[in-house]
Amino acid sequence: MEEETKTSRRSFLSLATWAIGGLISAGMAIPAIAYAIGPALKRTETEEWIRLGSASKVELDTPTLFKVKIVRQTGWIANEEELSFYVLTDNGRDYVAMSNICTHLGCRVRWIANQEQFFCPCHNAAFSKDGSVVAGPPPRPLDRYQVKVEDEQLFVLGG
Amino acid sequence: MGTKLGNWLDERVAWRQVWEAIFLRQIPKVNWLYTLGSASLFLAVNQIVTGILLTIYYVPTPDHAYDSVQYITTQVNMGWLIRGLHHWGASAMVIVVGLHMLRVIFYGAYKFPREVTWFTGVLLLLIVIAFGFTGYLLPWDQKAYWATTVGTSIAGTPPLIGDAVLRIVRGGEELSAITLARFFGVHVWVLPIALLILVGAHLYLVIRIGISAIPKREE
Repeated sequence: MEEETKTSRRSFLSLATWAIGGLISAGMAIPAIAYAIGPALKRTETEEWIRLGSASKVELDTPTLFKVKIVRQTGWIANEEELSFYVLTDNGRDYVAMSNICTHLGCRVRWIANQEQFFCPCHNAAFSKDGSVVAGPPPRPLDRYQVKVEDEQLFVLGG
Repeated sequence: MGTKLGNWLDERVAWRQVWEAIFLRQIPKVNWLYTLGSASLFLAVNQIVTGILLTIYYVPTPDHAYDSVQYITTQVNMGWLIRGLHHWGASAMVIVVGLHMLRVIFYGAYKFPREVTWFTGVLLLLIVIAFGFTGYLLPWDQKAYWATTVGTSIAGTPPLIGDAVLRIVRGGEELSAITLARFFGVHVWVLPIALLILVGAHLYLVIRIGISAIPKREE
């Protein structure tokens, strides 16, 4: 009888030790995982209207390059980045804003005026005036952005 | 299943022998003050785990240290908890290690045959204090900067060698990026390695020799 009480006390303490140890470990491990993967889960890419400049700068039927500087917060560092957009209009009222990033592998395209094409130097891709693929490996046309004009100022929705 | 796997492994690596030597060893009848060593070990593990987690975001340069610490505290999930555990754990560590030393002194546990255990313990106490001193600078706020200015000045007080010691500790005449970087290096590489080696020796000796009984009053 005495033997039996001894073993049950021993196994109870053993179980209690494991249980408390497990609780403490879980109490540490769960916050640790949340802490380590936290920033990866955060979507900081909030889209906002970026002001490009005066709408009157856009020439009729010619993609016009706009460069804007935006401040992007990554972790504890605020980086200034330059974004480029080509804006096209055929009537001075409706505008199309295109990215200058090639849809193939992300090189920067530029407008070659005398060929009436966008040209990507990386793999000789060519896009037409409205951004559709003319030649080369790109899988889709140049990305477009939503545009609005307020007080003669052009804005694009991006982030 | 568990026992089967345990047996399979035991046949090959004899882990049960190790387990018994560490956790099922005979000890004299002792009181709660004898748990201070285990408490120190627990806090050390806490400091190691939270410290490793902090290095995921912390950057030891003057232009990023403060901002990265603020980022951890205010932006990262549970960052306040991880930093808080490391911060308060550090203070608790100094206190518990100090109490552990007092217990060993008052019970005469440092005497033969445990002198070497005591020596390693003294070194461990110094390492814990060095951890506290180097870690205090890392948040790179006003308190950290001035506390380290004062703390390192003390190293400059001995005659003859003082000035050289001060320059070596600071990595130059003034507190700078060099000071921050070397305090970080000492805090996360030099001291942890020294701590692990000495804790290993300390625990080996505690288990090998066994712990002392509470001294009896002479009749």
